[in-house]
Amino acid sequence: MITWEMIVPLIMGFAPTLGFCLLFHVPANHILPAALIGGLGWAAYELWTSTGNNKVIGCFLAACLVGLLSDISARTLKEASTVFSIPGIMPLVPGAGMYYTMLELIKNDFSQAAALGSETLFMAGAIALGLMVVGSVIRIIISIKRKIYST
Amino acid sequence: MDDQNKKPRTISNMQKRALILAVRAGELMMKNGAEVYRVEDTITRICRACHIPYVEVFATTTGVFVTIGSGGEGGDVYTYIKSLDGRTTDLKKISDLNKFSREFTDTDLSVESGIKRLSEIDNAKPYPLPIRLLGAGLVASFFCGIFSGHIIDSLCSFIIGVAGYSLASFLDRYDINYFIRGFTCCGLTTFLALLADSSGACSNYGAIVIGTIMIFVPGVAITNSIRDFLSGDMLAGVARMAEALIIAVSLATGAGIIIAAWNMIGGVAL
Repeated sequence: MITWEMIVPLIMGFAPTLGFCLLFHVPANHILPAALIGGLGWAAYELWTSTGNNKVIGCFLAACLVGLLSDISARTLKEASTVFSIPGIMPLVPGAGMYYTMLELIKNDFSQAAALGSETLFMAGAIALGLMVVGSVIRIIISIKRKIYST
Repeated sequence: MDDQNKKPRTISNMQKRALILAVRAGELMMKNGAEVYRVEDTITRICRACHIPYVEVFATTTGVFVTIGSGGEGGDVYTYIKSLDGRTTDLKKISDLNKFSREFTDTDLSVESGIKRLSEIDNAKPYPLPIRLLGAGLVASFFCGIFSGHIIDSLCSFIIGVAGYSLASFLDRYDINYFIRGFTCCGLTTFLALLADSSGACSNYGAIVIGTIMIFVPGVAITNSIRDFLSGDMLAGVARMAEALIIAVSLATGAGIIIAAWNMIGGVAL
């Protein structure tokens, strides 16, 4: 069931991804799918973290979704998958984590800064890992498919 | 093997031009935000399409090294080294280059027209500045909204984001070092956010600062660096990770110094 709580994060992810598409010069006819992928990724992240789940795992799962959707649209639209995945993961990049880490450093609260900083770092790593895992799984599936069809 | 030895052990002029073409294509891809394995793959494919028997590619974020050889004993060997500087993210160029490499390997496009196509791709301009400013404003205002800013904060964030991005594109015109770029842009946006906050125009400067930080966040460098690491290109991975860290630190210090200074003169409580 689709509720208002699910639509709002979709829009909140869609609009900034659209902005990143304009900044990164995504080809004009592919802006809409790219922005939609970003919106879906952000909505997945919000859905996961709204119940108080771990942010790092949320980033990982959302990045997996972005990677999968990017690959699907790259194949259907005959395009490099980075055109969709780079704007798609941008909303997940922990800019807020960077800001809060810096704020704790100014307050001289180093243990809090270390905790937030390492969480930020892990979130960044989780995004890349999510993309990577999906990419590898897809590569394995394709090579298995090719083997089956060739024999 | 006999077949290979009967071939003349020289590299033809056409193949030398193909080497230049391949390095140019790799250079453009690397400069516009492609991963190392994609660059190496493209260069190898272009060279193979021109029937060069031996190709070795080594690419990092700061240079592309390609050696082609005719194979066999006493054969010709040519190396092309191209050092790179300045990186942006232009996905239109990546997409065009991807199409170009596929077209070049699948059809018999001549090397000369390939080189012409590459310079056409390179000369393509990004979206005009007003549209990019709109993009920056969208990013800033919606991230401000996500981090619990009100509508009025988002509006302030839109304007401040546009101001920050204008400064960034102004600095880009003069090839300013990217640490200074991140530092000054983030410093400016933080200053404007604090100004707006203390003048009573908005109530949540933190959300505005987060929104404007998101415009400059090194997301491409982070993801590409981990991809490079995991595909075994350690050198490129380290280089990109360093780039991402330096940009992140420049943004945080830019915002941090301004907030600390503002705090010192008693303008705001942390």
